Amino acid sequence: MIFSEVSGTISSILVSKNQIVDKETDLLIIECMKMLIPVVSEKRGKVVDIFVKEGDLIEEGDKLLEINHH
Amino acid sequence: MNWKKELEEKLNREKLSEKLGGEDRIKRQHDSGRYTIRERIDILCDNSSFHEIGKIAGNAIYDKDNDLINFTGSNFIFGKAKIDGRNIVVGGDDFTLRGGSADASIREKHLKCEEMALSLKLPLIRIVEGSGGGGSVKTIETTGRANVPEVEGWNLVVESMGTIPRVALGLGSVAGLGAAHLACSHYSVMVKEKSAVFVAGPPVVEQIGQKLTKNELGGYKIQLKSGAVDEAVDTEEEAFNAAKKFLSYLPNSVYELTDRLESKDDPNRSAEWLIEAIPKDIKSVYKIRPIIEELVDKGTFFEIGKEYGKSIVTGFCRLNGWSVALMASDPYSYGGCWTSDTCKKVQKFVDLAETFHLPIIYLVDCPGFQVGLDAEKKGTIKEGVRAMSAIWQTKTPWMSIIIRNCFGVAGAAHKRGSSYISRCAWPSARWGSLPLEGGIEAAYRSEIENSSDPKAELEKINVRLNKLRSPLRSAESFWIEEIIDPRNTRKIMCDFADLSAPLRTIGITSRTMRP
Repeated sequence: MIFSEVSGTISSILVSKNQIVDKETDLLIIECMKMLIPVVSEKRGKVVDIFVKEGDLIEEGDKLLEINHH
Repeated sequence: MNWKKELEEKLNREKLSEKLGGEDRIKRQHDSGRYTIRERIDILCDNSSFHEIGKIAGNAIYDKDNDLINFTGSNFIFGKAKIDGRNIVVGGDDFTLRGGSADASIREKHLKCEEMALSLKLPLIRIVEGSGGGGSVKTIETTGRANVPEVEGWNLVVESMGTIPRVALGLGSVAGLGAAHLACSHYSVMVKEKSAVFVAGPPVVEQIGQKLTKNELGGYKIQLKSGAVDEAVDTEEEAFNAAKKFLSYLPNSVYELTDRLESKDDPNRSAEWLIEAIPKDIKSVYKIRPIIEELVDKGTFFEIGKEYGKSIVTGFCRLNGWSVALMASDPYSYGGCWTSDTCKKVQKFVDLAETFHLPIIYLVDCPGFQVGLDAEKKGTIKEGVRAMSAIWQTKTPWMSIIIRNCFGVAGAAHKRGSSYISRCAWPSARWGSLPLEGGIEAAYRSEIENSSDPKAELEKINVRLNKLRSPLRSAESFWIEEIIDPRNTRKIMCDFADLSAPLRTIGITSRTMRP
């Protein structure tokens, strides 16, 4: 599970459900303090679920995506 | 006629002491993937260097003729040892005896351990498991009365925070006084999935309606993010290595200075890619850690508190062999804005460097304090002024290199107003009271609204103002002392470390640090 480290607005989502992502892939972009901050995958895995959509206001600690690393 | 018989009895008692809580308890410790306290000390310390104090202090049982039947050592073991050839004091809880609680402890051993490290001016490593010598519910029955709570010897702990390096390793479940010892350190480490730290554990917390596992309540993810603990590693061996590495950057006490290590890395080494490290698009972020790794002596950056107050990266490094405290903004967290947690992290780190006479280098990219309701609820401005005060109170040599944003009150905290600092900026630097992006529309509203093409007018104003905010314009009026080529930053930082070395002065700071 990937949680948001910051509060802000979902600016864009760069992956889709069931997509395989490599380590260090930008998954989505959060606009925070007028900066565009990528959320990056720590490991290779499959995107199982996406809990946000573009334009959503999010708080620190909100669920963003679930990635299965197995 | 000699004293061999007495010595034999002493050796016998020592052997009994080595049995800790007995085979079953030791097996249980091993089965859960944890070492015993004696194994931990063996692995942590240089071969055979551990000189235990009070090994035969414990609980003895005698027969009616006053002959010894059995002996159990105290569940706190300490002594002098060496790590990497250097003297330290180490003390740790024996979880196999009453879970490390006070019931099986001898309070004076805890106090003597603290007093020994403080008096000999040696680093202290505390290995904590259980309640760290604190009481348990059963204490009332074993002592036959309820105690008015006090933490005897805390004065020694407080004094040592300003005198000797304190490292605490939480290697199992740690609660109450144990958790206090872990938190009251300059550097603390947990083992992932095996350590948990809390004021009170799950059975107690369940009484207030929270049904949580140890991990959910006080696992490493909770405690690293809360800032109560600095680091989490996969194994106990890694925890010992982290402790050694941390201490390698610090002197034995504030009455010494850290030695320079021979460096094989050229202090004049330039790095071509740094010219493009900062994106021209001001909304884009960049990774700060590769920049740090490039600038310091190769492989010497030792990050502290990575998961806490993440807008600032803090750690020790070597520059031309000198030990230096380095902090740098991380735009991946709130664009580098100082959150309440960031401010607390800065306070502790700056105090740590000041206490042990390490020069400080700050790579600045701070657009200001975090703004918004969440920031206000967390008292960001209060923690902010505390961080600023910590910075202003430093006397250690200080260098700030502004690599991008420097705005507002938090931006101003790159520089103490009280004494000289070395300062320069990269050409990518931008500064002011407020970022222009935050207020052009408001400040120039009538010009924009009265224009036949408001969008073009806004763009025209943007271009005009952007020319004004070039760091070169600020350098004209000496607002900034120097604009440097990013590629040559390492040379400038190494020069600073060389110049700072003879300026470091030993002694205790006037305001000793709190944990």
